[in-house]
Amino acid sequence: MKILIADDDPLSRRLLEKTLLRAAYEVVSVADGRQALTSLTEPEDAPRLALLDWMMPELDGPSVCRAVRQRHNQGYAYLILLTSRESKEDVVAGLESGADDYLIKPFNIDELKARLRCGERILELEDRLVEAREEMRFKATHDDLTSLWNRGVIMDLLARELARSQRENGSTVLILGDIDHFKAVNDTHGHLVGDQVLREVSRRMLHSVRSYDFVGRYGGEEFLIVLNNCNPDYGFKRADEIRTSINDRPIQTDAGPLRITMSFGVLVSRDWGSRPTDELLREVDAALYAAKASGRNCTMLAKPPQDREFVPAEHSVADSH
Amino acid sequence: MSNSAINFQELLDRVDNDRQLLYELFSIFKDEFPGNLARLRDAVTRGELKEIAKLSHTFKGTLGNLAAAQAMNSAAHLEQAARIGQAAQLSAAFADFERDANSTLTELETYMAEARPA
Repeated sequence: MKILIADDDPLSRRLLEKTLLRAAYEVVSVADGRQALTSLTEPEDAPRLALLDWMMPELDGPSVCRAVRQRHNQGYAYLILLTSRESKEDVVAGLESGADDYLIKPFNIDELKARLRCGERILELEDRLVEAREEMRFKATHDDLTSLWNRGVIMDLLARELARSQRENGSTVLILGDIDHFKAVNDTHGHLVGDQVLREVSRRMLHSVRSYDFVGRYGGEEFLIVLNNCNPDYGFKRADEIRTSINDRPIQTDAGPLRITMSFGVLVSRDWGSRPTDELLREVDAALYAAKASGRNCTMLAKPPQDREFVPAEHSVADSH
Repeated sequence: MSNSAINFQELLDRVDNDRQLLYELFSIFKDEFPGNLARLRDAVTRGELKEIAKLSHTFKGTLGNLAAAQAMNSAAHLEQAARIGQAAQLSAAFADFERDANSTLTELETYMAEARPA
């Protein structure tokens, strides 16, 4: 584990360096509080254990502790103050500044190592908590089966992007897709194969969009894709490319390769003014329904009421079955 | 060994019997000591309490690490006198400290002369 030593006394610093290197720590050492703060707040690979001398030039140990604790965007750092100030008031002030522990100088080497092990235990516990929190956060926001955004999150993301488009006079493209004849896949091959199809379809959709677009599971075999700040002229084309990525090669399943197709409804928000999200979803759903009605494996564009019609791409119906 | 300035047993424990490290630490002290002592003497002459407290505090830590208890206590006494503003005691406290710190220096120089690496 990487550990920071901050001490302006070269003798004390060298003694600590050698002791900690011998104890298999990766040691970084600095001679003042400003350098200590810089090291502890490095965006990447900052030391998470630190021995900070109380009295140092530039910033003293307690000031470094306070500054580190004010930053909330980093993993926890376990900070030990080194001090020869042993009054109760000093100890309280040191701990109140954000230090986790303190050691009175001159320190006993075994005690130093034991306190560092204590710090490592705390950091390991923190790592496990962060990991658990991230896992819970992922589960709360993603669909279990496909790992796409779940319905609640994709709806929130859609609302946010629509609001942004309005603010910035841009355009968001909504794409609602549904796997064709998915019930037949489940009925014929079983739900496990159905799950394999859902996962692969999800993977292909994710690979077909930009890293900053959103793909979510909207319902059983329905998916909502939100293309941010998308050129309206390309919205339909992008949707149809996604459709093609699904049917251009069979999906490998335990039941053998299956040819799967999807139908899509597309809506370009700029064509619809400031309509509410619910209304846009109803319209894109209607476009999807029109795609299904016209033979499936195709893409239909939702047009506003003044020129109400669903427009298929010329090539989009060519390979429908 | 009761009148020794440095408790070598304690010091060897602290450096995990690493005599090369011990030699290195002594060298650091020997290099740093004259300049730091001159700064402290200067601060005492000028009566700069804050500077005296800071420098004697650093000496206290360094000498503590070297297991030089007598000199460490003298540094602590000088620091305390400066912190509570006992200007009248500073000269005497500094004289005690200088004596004890020099004894420490002499002892570690003797050690270094005997243990000089090949």
